[in-house]
Amino acid sequence: MEILKSIFYILVFPGALFTMVAGLWLAGVDRKVIAKMQKRIGPPILQPTYDFFKLMGKETIVPRVANRLVFLGAPVIGFISLAIIMLFIPIFGFTAFSGSADLIVILYLITISGVALIVGGSSSGSPYAGIGISREMVTMMSYELPFVIILLTVAKKVGGADLVFSMDAIGAWQRANGSLLFQWSMIPAALAMLLVIPAEVGVQPFDVAEAETEICEGPLIEYSGAALGVFKLNTAMKMIIMTGLFTSLFLGGFTTGIVALDVLIFVAICTVLTLLCMTTIHAVTARLKIEHLFRFYWTFVAGLAMASLILVWCGL
Amino acid sequence: MMQHFPVLAVMLLFLSAFIVEIFGAKSKAVAQGIAMIAATVSAGLIYALIKPVMIDGQIISYWMGNWAPVEEYAIGIGYEVDALSLFFALLVVTTFWLSGLYSIGYMNKDHHLGHYYTLYLMLSGSVLGLVMTGDIFNLFVMVEIMTFASVALTAFRNFSEGALEGAFKYLVIGSMGSSFTLTGIALLYAECHTLNMAQIASILAGGLSPTAIAAFGLIIAGFGVKSYMVPFHTPAADAYTVAPTSISMIFSGMVNKAGVYGMIRMIYIVFRAMDKGTVQQMLAIFGAVTMFLGVTMALAQHEFKRLLAFHSISQIGYVITAVSLGSALGLTGGLFHAMNHTLFKGLLFLTAGAVLKQVGTTNLDKLGGLSKRMPHTTICFLVGAGAISGLPPFNGFASKWIIYQAIYTKAVESGKFVYVLCTICALVVSVMTLASFIKVTQAVFFGQLRKEHENVTEAPFSMRLPMYIMALLCTASGVFYDFVNKYLLHPAANAALNISKYIDAMMGPGYAANARVSDMSVEPVAFSYWNPIIWLVLFGVLFIGAALVILGGRNERGQILSSSDPSQAKYDTFFSGEKEMYSQVGGSDLFWGFKSNWKGYYKFMEAIHSGIVNDYASMAVVGTAVICLCMFLFMR
Amino acid sequence: MIIVNYIASIILIVLGLYTVCTKKNLIKVVLGLGIIDYGVNMLIVSFGFNDGGTAPIYQMSDLLNGVSTKFFVDPVPQALTLTSIVIGACVDAMALSLVIMIYRKYKTINADEVRRLNG
Repeated sequence: MEILKSIFYILVFPGALFTMVAGLWLAGVDRKVIAKMQKRIGPPILQPTYDFFKLMGKETIVPRVANRLVFLGAPVIGFISLAIIMLFIPIFGFTAFSGSADLIVILYLITISGVALIVGGSSSGSPYAGIGISREMVTMMSYELPFVIILLTVAKKVGGADLVFSMDAIGAWQRANGSLLFQWSMIPAALAMLLVIPAEVGVQPFDVAEAETEICEGPLIEYSGAALGVFKLNTAMKMIIMTGLFTSLFLGGFTTGIVALDVLIFVAICTVLTLLCMTTIHAVTARLKIEHLFRFYWTFVAGLAMASLILVWCGL
Repeated sequence: MMQHFPVLAVMLLFLSAFIVEIFGAKSKAVAQGIAMIAATVSAGLIYALIKPVMIDGQIISYWMGNWAPVEEYAIGIGYEVDALSLFFALLVVTTFWLSGLYSIGYMNKDHHLGHYYTLYLMLSGSVLGLVMTGDIFNLFVMVEIMTFASVALTAFRNFSEGALEGAFKYLVIGSMGSSFTLTGIALLYAECHTLNMAQIASILAGGLSPTAIAAFGLIIAGFGVKSYMVPFHTPAADAYTVAPTSISMIFSGMVNKAGVYGMIRMIYIVFRAMDKGTVQQMLAIFGAVTMFLGVTMALAQHEFKRLLAFHSISQIGYVITAVSLGSALGLTGGLFHAMNHTLFKGLLFLTAGAVLKQVGTTNLDKLGGLSKRMPHTTICFLVGAGAISGLPPFNGFASKWIIYQAIYTKAVESGKFVYVLCTICALVVSVMTLASFIKVTQAVFFGQLRKEHENVTEAPFSMRLPMYIMALLCTASGVFYDFVNKYLLHPAANAALNISKYIDAMMGPGYAANARVSDMSVEPVAFSYWNPIIWLVLFGVLFIGAALVILGGRNERGQILSSSDPSQAKYDTFFSGEKEMYSQVGGSDLFWGFKSNWKGYYKFMEAIHSGIVNDYASMAVVGTAVICLCMFLFMR
Repeated sequence: MIIVNYIASIILIVLGLYTVCTKKNLIKVVLGLGIIDYGVNMLIVSFGFNDGGTAPIYQMSDLLNGVSTKFFVDPVPQALTLTSIVIGACVDAMALSLVIMIYRKYKTINADEVRRLNG
């Protein structure tokens, strides 16, 4: 019975299937709203889903200079790591798996999905991919610093004298004491997280790694067919995961008690967050250059996160 | 019978060094054979000690020449193997055995192999003796033998660029470090009038006098030079680059662990200073600076082995920070990371050696696309790179995670903000390590193959076998962490924190009680992230993911195609419509955005690492001065 | 407690460190290493001094009488110093042989020019 339940969690909800569906929904909403902002009609909301199934049916071409094993294995590794993360993120009181160090595991799994993109691009042997992975890695280095500071801040705030890295415990604390967003010392950290999300997912203005006009999609240039479909799916899954992480870290304070209703409210909040931190910024800004991106994250965003850490450290 | 094993292991290595020198000059096979037999027997003797020392908890003590203590006073040289010593001894024997195996293939075109194996055996014997001795002057003598053998081996290929220079700098800085250690030992002798570490520990239990504090500072500086902490790290970069790769692997795997072992032994057992806030903070700050400096310098390198050398320095920074915290969690994390560093850094150096031997160069700007010609080396390299970056399921993840937890817990317990900065530094350095290895992957293994490397072959099997073994150990020690903890780490951490047993085993029962030596109790460290449910998760999701990629994407005949035929343009890489040509993005072209932001820092760093011996010596003197000053001003 | 010896050995060590840190000729650097070693050796042997003691050698007559009335200096530091002198000699020999080979290869022994490995 336990095994069946675990398999259900892994494969259907909140594991692979739920993440895929919710991620593709968010990607569709994102595209539609940008189009409306730009006075176009835009594609239907299910367009990313259609794209995914279309790509599944296309032929995968492996370039001559590519390392075949790594080339085909990289999207699979990325997919696995992202599907596992969702199992650790609590949806307003319902957690599939919880350990004592979820935050660090989530941090590393997100890193692995980024590494999967990088290694896949590198193995394709194209020089455009080489430039793309260099930029992607610098982007990862840029947003890791504020991201770890935010996680350390949350751990200290919730735990007090002992540190708490477990998502379940963070959720329980928020249900008892009110959401973290409403503690005023955590507001800079929340702002920093809102700025980290677009860089992780790779939307403008932080998508210099996939700059379509300069390096023709960067790491993904030689990908086609099912492998490309899985990579695009990974990007969509990252949307729901990052906004879901923000929701459970900063807005986890209430629950209605019914799992299905909680899930709907969760996805609704994630949609609002997507519109706030990804769509709006995407529609109104241009792309940053890589050195500006690095400087932005290591000065402004890290400064916000650090301000929160110092406030929490002083006991506020 | 068991108590003779440590001395036998060490003496066998020294004896066979002399035998190889006499008989090995004429024939390569004789030299190799004697060296491998000696290494295997020695390794077997040390592995046989696992059961009594680690599992049953005995401490093996052996007095040379049977000079047992007379009237509670130690007069002979004692060898004492407790769990901490055995932990490091296991690392040492594994490393030099695998290195010997690798040398068979790697050094087969060099001359004077008799001398090589003599020096190799002396180096191994000296490090093994270092970790197992209980006498402080014997420790110093072993350190000196290690320095000589290392310097001679660094300069072994004296025709290659920079070998002599690297060896000279290593000798100067290393000798200065040894002199500091000797001064510290002399001061310690003046204070305690004995050379036996157990007896010194019980004499110093009453409190540290100013002489003892001075001795402590100097000895820590001396062992800092041996373990390549900043600012003593400069000869490491040169020496690791120019030494033959099988020796570089020994350097990064054994020699700097000897420095770390010396530090742990001094801090925890002899001086019992691990609960003094000054020592903890000073070493934590040194460790954090080492981590950061190592990795940022590594990102700017153009040469594969020099990059690996800077990463070695950075990872030892992790170990020093973890060990300095004075808690059981920190010690476990530090020891585990030391073990993992030996495994994954050894693996990375072996792959670098394979590339050097097969291709002829390790310049990152001149390589590329080798994964097509050397697939096994590529897989081993990817395992090593994943382990060092701390990706699950490799061992780097487990040990780094324990270290992060240890530092942050210490920050919260002691309330000092400096530990929070150390945690942030550790996490950021981890990402930068990952970046550095992505750079090497792209520059060496992926990307486009140069015309002149089109006939490169895979490394011979005798060179690949140690790589496979180490890759397997990397993965196994990450996955079966509980097993490693129960049998290796927990006894070792326990031994470092329970000093009275150490003293009693050496000097006779009841001695420690007389000297009012007190203990710390250690609970095993729980590590609950890895349980069978996770296996189920991975399996299920792997299945879907593989299915997605494999089932989709086939053409009408059901295959995923590729072709090595250059006339099929479908399989060319995309060049915006132009003809395909050689264009490799590698080495210095990567991470431009990062490097341009840190221009001032890199200019300063490159000016400091000028290659001039005097500058390096001044840095060492300044480092020692800072350590001694910290000790004196703040030791409370 | 011979203050003069201690001060002299500290001065030797400092002079040796100064030489290693500032002199450009590689042979002078090696000499500096040697001076540090000699300073440390003197420090060690001075630690063993007991005022009024003789050489630490038993004669047959003392042993046969059963009780020794001799008061001698500590023999252990003398043993340590002998070992250390030998080690110092080996370091100097190895360093000088490296300097000879460096001269053959680089045609100079100025530290400012022997710096092909840098950065």
